[in-house]
Amino acid sequence: MPKVLLIEDHDETAKQITAELAGRGYEVDRAATGIEGLDKARAAEADIMIVDRLLPGIDGLTIIEVARQEQIRTPVLVLSALGAVDERVRGLRAGGDDYLTKPFAILELIARIEALLRRPPENRDTVLRVGPLELDLLERAATRDGQPLDLLPREFRLLEYMMRRADQLLTRAMLFEEVWNYKFVPHSNLVDVHMGRLRRKVDPPGQPPMILNVRGAGFVLRAPS
Amino acid sequence: MRLPEFVRTSEFRRTILRGTMVATGAFALCVLLIIAVIYRPTSRYLTASVDQLITERIDAFSKLPPEQRLQALQQHLTADPRRVKLVGLFDAQGNRILGNVESLPRDLKADAPALQLSMMRIDAVGREQQTARVVARKLDNGQTLIVGRNIDELSEVETTVERAVAWGLIPALCLGSLFGAFLSIRTQQRLDEYNRRIQRIVAGELRERLPVQGGAPFSELARLINGMLDEIEDLLRSVAGVGDDIAHDLRTPLTNVRMTLESGRNKASNLDELKAAVDRAIAGLDQSLTMVTALLRIAEIEHSRRLEGFRDVELVELIRDVGELYDPMARDKGVTLALEAQEAIVVQGDRDLLFEAVANLVDNAVKFTPECGHIELKLSRSGNTGVVRVSDTGRGIAPGERDLVTRRFYRSDKSRGEPGVGLGLSLVLAIVKLHGFQFTISPVPGGRGCVAEIVCGPAAGQGS
Repeated sequence: MPKVLLIEDHDETAKQITAELAGRGYEVDRAATGIEGLDKARAAEADIMIVDRLLPGIDGLTIIEVARQEQIRTPVLVLSALGAVDERVRGLRAGGDDYLTKPFAILELIARIEALLRRPPENRDTVLRVGPLELDLLERAATRDGQPLDLLPREFRLLEYMMRRADQLLTRAMLFEEVWNYKFVPHSNLVDVHMGRLRRKVDPPGQPPMILNVRGAGFVLRAPS
Repeated sequence: MRLPEFVRTSEFRRTILRGTMVATGAFALCVLLIIAVIYRPTSRYLTASVDQLITERIDAFSKLPPEQRLQALQQHLTADPRRVKLVGLFDAQGNRILGNVESLPRDLKADAPALQLSMMRIDAVGREQQTARVVARKLDNGQTLIVGRNIDELSEVETTVERAVAWGLIPALCLGSLFGAFLSIRTQQRLDEYNRRIQRIVAGELRERLPVQGGAPFSELARLINGMLDEIEDLLRSVAGVGDDIAHDLRTPLTNVRMTLESGRNKASNLDELKAAVDRAIAGLDQSLTMVTALLRIAEIEHSRRLEGFRDVELVELIRDVGELYDPMARDKGVTLALEAQEAIVVQGDRDLLFEAVANLVDNAVKFTPECGHIELKLSRSGNTGVVRVSDTGRGIAPGERDLVTRRFYRSDKSRGEPGVGLGLSLVLAIVKLHGFQFTISPVPGGRGCVAEIVCGPAAGQGS
C-alpha cells in the first residue's frame, strides 16, 4: 500500500484528497503546517509527497529545497493556486517532480501521483513491447502483430510515451505536456483528435482495442487480455 | 475610505510664509549691500578731495611772506558763509596769533598728512565743536599754521542716505510681506479647493474634476490630474462591465448544472442514469471553471513583469508545432490549414506563452472557418524580426467590432453559437503585450475572413 505524505493547510481540500486517495488504497499522512510537513518528510516513510505551494510557517518550495538538500529523494507533486509559468518553473527548479494548478480534477491528481509512483526505470532498451505492440526506437518503426504501422512523428512519440507508461491513466494535460512539450492546457478536443488518429492506426477493426478512453479523465494503453 | 488631506494646511501656510520672509530679508540685505558699496567709496573720495584742498591751501599759505600770509588768511576766513573753514596761526609757545581755532590740538603733528580731529571753533557766532580734516605746518619763523575743513557735511550726507534707506526699504519690506501673504492665501485657497474636490472623488464622485484656471503651474497640474481621472473613470467603467459580463456568462452554465442535477436527482431510476446526469453537471462546472481560470490567467499575465524566464525562442519550430497540432482538427472539419515557415527567426520570449498565443489564433480560425475554407499560418521576416500571420476565410470581423474582439468576454453575436468563453483574443493580447510585441486583427482586403498578425518586435519608430 503506497504511503502519501500530504502537506496542505487547507482542511477542506486535505479532507477531500485524503478521502479520494484512501478510497483507492493509499495510506495518507497529512501535515497541516510547513514545519510539521518537513519533520514528516525527514522521517522519509512516504513513497510520495504532495506539497501545497503556499503554507503557513515554512513555504512549500522551501520544504522541497531543504528535503532535496538532505538527500531525501521522495517524489514530490507541487500543488498551487499560482499557475503562472514562472511559478511552475520555480516549483520544478526547487526539486518538485510535477506541478498541478488548483483547481484540478481529482482524477488528474490521481493520474499524476500514479505516474510519479510508477515512473519507468531508466530504460536503455531500444525496443519497447506492450502485448502485440512493438516500437523500435532506433528504426523509428512500429508494428502490431508484426504488421507495420504508418505513424507520423508526433504519433510515434505519443505511442512511445504511452507504451512506457502502459496500464497507467494518462490525462490530456499530461499527454500534452510530455508529448508536445508545451505547458499549456489546450481547450477544444485537440488531444482527442490526435489520439483518435493514433487509435485508428494502432487498433484496426477486428482487433481488440489497446487504447482505451477513460471517460472524463484520459487514456490508458493496455495489452489485450 | 478617507484620505489624508493631500497637503497639510497649516504646515503649508507656514512654509509659504517662511519663504516670503526669507526672500524679503534677502532683498533688504541686497539693498543695504548696494548702499554700502556706493557710500563707502563716495565718502572716501570726498575725504580725499578735502585733504587735497587743505594741503594745497596750507602749502600756498606757508610759501607767502609773513605780512602777506596774515592778509591772505584774513581774507580766507572772511569768505566762509557756511562756517566750514578752519584756520589757526600759533606762535612757538602755542598762543593763538590769528584764526578761529581755539587752541593748537595736541595730537596734530606738523608736516604730517591730514588728520581727522574734533576741534573747538571760535568766531563771531560763538564756540562750536566741529569734526574736521586738519593739516599743520611749522613755519620758518617758529610759528605753526593749521588749516582745516569741517566735514560735518559728510555725516549729514550719511544721515540723508540712512533716511532714504529707511523710507525706501521699510515700505519695500512691508510690500514684500504683504505680497507673500497674498500669494500664500491664494495658493491656500486653491489647494483647499483641490482638497475639497479630491475628497469628493475619493468618496466616489468619479465625475468630479479639478478646476482649470489661474496661473500656469496650477492649471497645468489640474489638467494632468483631470486627464488621469478620465482614464481611471474609463477603466473603472470597463472593469464594472467585465464584472457584469462574468456574472452573466457564469450564470448560464451554472443554471444548467443546477437543472441537470435537479432533474437527475428526481428522475434517475438507476445508478447509471444518475451518473450520466452527474457527468453532465461536471462538464458544465468544468466550463465555468475554465472561464474563471482563463480570466485569472489573463490577469496573471497582465500583471507579471517581463519574465526572468525569457529565453531564445525558435519561431519556426513553434509555428510548425502549432500547425501540426491543429492540422488533424482542421482536416476533421474539412478546412485546409496551410503552413509556411522557413525563415529561421529567434525572438526573446516565453516559449509556452507564445505557443499559447499562436495556438489561440489558429484555434479561433479553425472555429470560425466554415467547411471547405482555408487557413494560412505563416511566419515571415520583416526587418530584423518575425511576423506570425494567421489568415482565414471565415466570416471575418465587422469593422465596428475590431476593437471589441480583444475585450474580455466579448463575443460577436454571430459567434454566440460556437463553444468558447470569449477570452481567447484577450489572452493573446495580454501575452503579446507582455512580450512588447504588436498585435493587429483586420479583415482580408477585398474578401471574406480576417487576418491576425503578431509582429514580434517593438512598434515601428520605437527602435529595437
